[in-house]
Amino acid sequence: MEHSGSSPIEGDLAELIVRTLKLKIDPTAIRPEAPLFGEGLGLDSIDALELSLAISQTYGYQLKSSDPEIKTIFSSLRALAKAIEKNRTK
Amino acid sequence: MTWVALTLGRPAARILLYPICVYFLLASRTARRAIARFRERALGRSTDWSDLLRHYYAFAATILDRVYFLRCRFDLFDIRFYGLETLDHELAKGRGCLLVGAHLGSFEAVRAVGVLRRRLDVRVLMDEENAPLMRGLTRTLNRTVADTVIQAGGVEAMLQVKECLERGGIVGVMGDRATQGDRTIGCPFFGREARFPTGALRLAHLMGSPAVLFFGFYRGGNRYDMHFESFSDGVRASRDQLEALLHRDIRRYAERLEEACRLAPDNWFNFYEFWDGEER
Repeated sequence: MEHSGSSPIEGDLAELIVRTLKLKIDPTAIRPEAPLFGEGLGLDSIDALELSLAISQTYGYQLKSSDPEIKTIFSSLRALAKAIEKNRTK
Repeated sequence: MTWVALTLGRPAARILLYPICVYFLLASRTARRAIARFRERALGRSTDWSDLLRHYYAFAATILDRVYFLRCRFDLFDIRFYGLETLDHELAKGRGCLLVGAHLGSFEAVRAVGVLRRRLDVRVLMDEENAPLMRGLTRTLNRTVADTVIQAGGVEAMLQVKECLERGGIVGVMGDRATQGDRTIGCPFFGREARFPTGALRLAHLMGSPAVLFFGFYRGGNRYDMHFESFSDGVRASRDQLEALLHRDIRRYAERLEEACRLAPDNWFNFYEFWDGEER
């Protein structure tokens, strides 16, 4: 089942999340399709902002509030990884 | 009431506030007890009905005045500024500024800063979902102001905060009232543990933006005293330092808030049990 595994960028991103937010979990424990914020990992919107700063630094992708897809982008590891793949400049 | 306020004018509307206050004072046992408890803790003496009526009236008056502020009728008021140079000083750093307030007096009056001083980029982060009446009022009276409100919750709101700070703008946030899901830190407040939300100060540390405390005291009549004081200078903090810094910040915020409450006890507008473990 291809969609339940992680793509390489999903793995990198999971590591970035754990490192940036100093989570005490293994990166592989973040399920690609589970909600990233609110429930589950217990992350809030300020964590999301912190993560977006790290994404901009690492991938050169500036997340913007005006992006109509912004909620979808942050809905899961998979969605976020997809957006990064599409928009990264480094 | 908005109609009365705008058609009959402020003096007539203020007379009508008396029966309204008496009604709420009698009808709201829980809120009344919460305010009495706050006053006793803050002032160290017992509270009588005239104290409570004055307290309710101060609240009602600032709500009424919001109508005039939203209509930019600043000419009706005697608004005095204290420490405004602090704000200028922090803004000059070019990293925006978090204006950390409280439900003490009128936060709405802060818009006067943008209007009276010069054109400043002022946005306010608030939980309007929990205040639908206020949201309706703001939308009806001043669309431009309504558009400056950032609805709290979600990454979109936080990105708006970031973008405003990066433009060198001001973001107003309340620092005293924790809503469900907020991360909080407990600290003594008038001698007893209370929980304060850390959101505003986390944002300051994350963005490396300076934080300025703001209190818009209502002094009775048509007078508002706006106090600004620098709080933190906006150095980005790493995650490892963050917890310790936030504990220190919250403690200092609570101390400043205590002092501000003593200056204007009638301005405390948290009409619920503020302390931990107090029955609601």
